[in-house]
Amino acid sequence: MIIRRSEEQPRWTLLRRFPVPRGFHAASRSRVQAGREWPAPEGAGNVKRMQVYRYDPEGDERPRVDTFHVDLDECGPMLLDALIKIKNQIDPTLTFRRSCREGVCGSCAMNINGTNWLACTRALDELDDPVTVYPLNNLDVIKDLVGDQSHAFAQYAAIRPWLRASPPPKDRERLQSPEQRRELDGYYECILCFCCTSGCPSHWWNGDRFLGPAVLLQAWRWLADSRDEATGERLDELEDPFRLYRCHTILNCTRTCPKGLNPGKAIAEIKRKLLERQG
Amino acid sequence: MTERTRPRSPHVQIYRPQLTSVLSFTHRLSGIALSVGGVILVVWLLLAAAGGSAFGGLNAALGSWFGRLLLFLWTFALFFHLCNGIRHLFWDAVLGFELANIYRSGWLVVVASTVLTVLTWVIAMSMPGVA
Repeated sequence: MIIRRSEEQPRWTLLRRFPVPRGFHAASRSRVQAGREWPAPEGAGNVKRMQVYRYDPEGDERPRVDTFHVDLDECGPMLLDALIKIKNQIDPTLTFRRSCREGVCGSCAMNINGTNWLACTRALDELDDPVTVYPLNNLDVIKDLVGDQSHAFAQYAAIRPWLRASPPPKDRERLQSPEQRRELDGYYECILCFCCTSGCPSHWWNGDRFLGPAVLLQAWRWLADSRDEATGERLDELEDPFRLYRCHTILNCTRTCPKGLNPGKAIAEIKRKLLERQG
Repeated sequence: MTERTRPRSPHVQIYRPQLTSVLSFTHRLSGIALSVGGVILVVWLLLAAAGGSAFGGLNAALGSWFGRLLLFLWTFALFFHLCNGIRHLFWDAVLGFELANIYRSGWLVVVASTVLTVLTWVIAMSMPGVA
């Protein structure tokens, strides 16, 4: 009942998805249809079913969900291993992003059994059968599991995520005490995988104007930096009913972060700082 | 390749319900329910003050089994919105954001609002003249 770390899998099985129609809030081109079945090879003993979202930009078909039967005895331990196995041995057209395979690059973020996580750090034996694999939520799909993140990165660029300060004296560095440096712990570790932003209902409804948890966590990371001199300017830019205040503290972000960070808390810190500024 | 409009990947249609999102949606829904209930409460009071047969009609409707069911749900909406609102006040002070505490306070809100609702109805139903 109590989830202590974001890596814990959801345990209740009563409600696997919200009781809304499958096509709810989705244009007809986005509605998912049943796809094909890819059977396991003869003699495979330990088979897991993987239901994977597919979209082929070169055809006229709507997105579909294919079912792959993967022999776990012949597969690495992580979900990413299974996806690579499918691409190598079953269907080479399966398309997904991946790079570091150890949870530092953020490329293989996807919706796994209904919540967002990195495919490379999710073990297959933790996942209920069938495993459902979708792209990160609410993105324009380029192909299969690859979503277009241009908007997310444009929102990131909009907060101007770099040190804004006057040049330091030529003979010394920009110093920071260990205590000041500690203020950045829990925020500098973000890998920008956008699991949180994609899992945020407020960003689903107002993603065009609401910056979303990943970008707001970065905004706080710069507000919390003792070397940055643009605090007032940054707060001015954030003080907006949509950019910041569409956050209703749902906290799906903190629940899903694959690095165990706390975007919800970062946003609360920004709101408090704005309140303090009002006096 | 011809230019085509890309599909949007599914979100609310597939995202797993969690205590975080379920309680947030419930907070919004209970707020809407309370706005409607507030209007009915005002109408009921105005009719009571005005006297006449219209008050009797509304009062009887609210006293029917369906009316009582609605009143029960409104009572829950009131206590849930109150308790979860207090949870939000803590968050506004940047307190209770550890994941375990988010879950603890969430379940506390569920239990507290249920107990308060049942308690209110036990007391109300045991009052003289209420059956």
